[in-house]
Amino acid sequence: MEFQEAFEWYVAAYLFLAGVGAGAIVAAALADMYDREKYLSFIKAASVIGMPLVSIGIGFLYIDLGQGFWKPWLLILLFANPTSAITWGTAILTLFTLFSLVYGAYNLGFIKFSGGNTMRWLLIITGVLTAGYTAVLLGVLKAIPFWHQTALPILFIISATSTGISGAMLVKEVFFKNHDHLGKIESTHMYLLILEIFLLAGMFLIALQGVPEMKYSAMSLLTGKFALEFWLFLVFGGLLIPAVAFALAEGGKMKISGGKLVLFEVLVLVGGYFLRHLIIHAGVYTQKFTEYLH
Amino acid sequence: MQKKFGMAYIVDRCVDCKACMVACKAEWDVPEDHFRTHIHTGIKPEKREKPSMDFLPHQCNHCDVAPCVTVCPTKASHKREDGIVFVTRSKCVGCKYCIASCPYDARFFNHDIGVAEKCTFCLPRALEGKEPACATTCPGNVRVFGDLNDPESEISVLLKDAAEKRLNVWKLRTDLGTEPNIFYVKK
Repeated sequence: MEFQEAFEWYVAAYLFLAGVGAGAIVAAALADMYDREKYLSFIKAASVIGMPLVSIGIGFLYIDLGQGFWKPWLLILLFANPTSAITWGTAILTLFTLFSLVYGAYNLGFIKFSGGNTMRWLLIITGVLTAGYTAVLLGVLKAIPFWHQTALPILFIISATSTGISGAMLVKEVFFKNHDHLGKIESTHMYLLILEIFLLAGMFLIALQGVPEMKYSAMSLLTGKFALEFWLFLVFGGLLIPAVAFALAEGGKMKISGGKLVLFEVLVLVGGYFLRHLIIHAGVYTQKFTEYLH
Repeated sequence: MQKKFGMAYIVDRCVDCKACMVACKAEWDVPEDHFRTHIHTGIKPEKREKPSMDFLPHQCNHCDVAPCVTVCPTKASHKREDGIVFVTRSKCVGCKYCIASCPYDARFFNHDIGVAEKCTFCLPRALEGKEPACATTCPGNVRVFGDLNDPESEISVLLKDAAEKRLNVWKLRTDLGTEPNIFYVKK
């Protein structure tokens, strides 16, 4: 079995940063529609990281490109092929970046135009598409069976929203020195983590029954060459520990603020990066020669 | 009729001498750590009384439904009318999506020039009516290159003959729907 080596950590970094940025803005736009006043500190914090993180992510993508960084005029060709998921992604990212720039500038007081509910809906739609297309990008490739599954975009959207909330909470706590307890957002975050755990478990149970290449990818994560990172950074650090902590806080058995909050949010973010890093690196090419002797 | 280039390997003639790989590298100045064509070595003890080795050359399959062409955002990877899947270097942005999309793992990233690369059936030679460098060099005449639409071409005659004699003829992973144009013939 051959692990793919075309996509490396630069791509994982892009998928992660685009996810955090888009997730933060989607969560902020939803909170904004629900009760702007109550969640203003969260909305402002999300605005600080939303568009900038997506842009830094795109920066990673440019660095990864063989020629685009040196011949920027080639980038316009990224719109050339309507059958390519990169073309879809480029269009989605362009729209989302523009909308989130306007929305962020409004929330941070640089401009007075918000675009109202239309803008919030546009942000939610393009934000979810930004988070989801990054998995569709991988999923449309038949050559790598582990990526070729429908659960992936759903997993990426949930993870993006969860890491986006973490990113915004972190900025709110550290830079805005605002210790508001945002009950609804914290509960949502806990449920997202629980959902992510179930989805990931389901994905693995199905992958283990899949074609040999899919099983090989899954095993490389569960017990193989990526097992340590998978269990340590993704499963325990990134999902189980924060989910249990948030559940305890939800039940009133633990108070999460200050340093503790920063710790758990950082764990979620590290887990979010490793989710993408590991799924990308565990990609195994479909075998070429399965029936070569007759 | 429009030409449609393809290649057949008469695989039981291959002795793994790797002359094809060297000829290709010399022709195309392929970077040190990559090849455009490979020879796969298979050991199949379970199918024979004595263990034996099989050598299978492989390269870009110039698929009719090429995943690399579908996913290339800039249309640098495209299917020519003569059936050759070609990469226009000046249009390739170097996103590597085609490399990850190829079920035949036939592409690589050329770090020297920042573009994706693969076999082109030696396009300039093919346009002059010559064989690709690998076919010319092969001492065992494993590789038969030509126009699949011309019934008189060596490859068409070979495939017709193989069908009549009911020889083993197959392509790689037709189950994936890529419709490759590399034929494997076992006499």
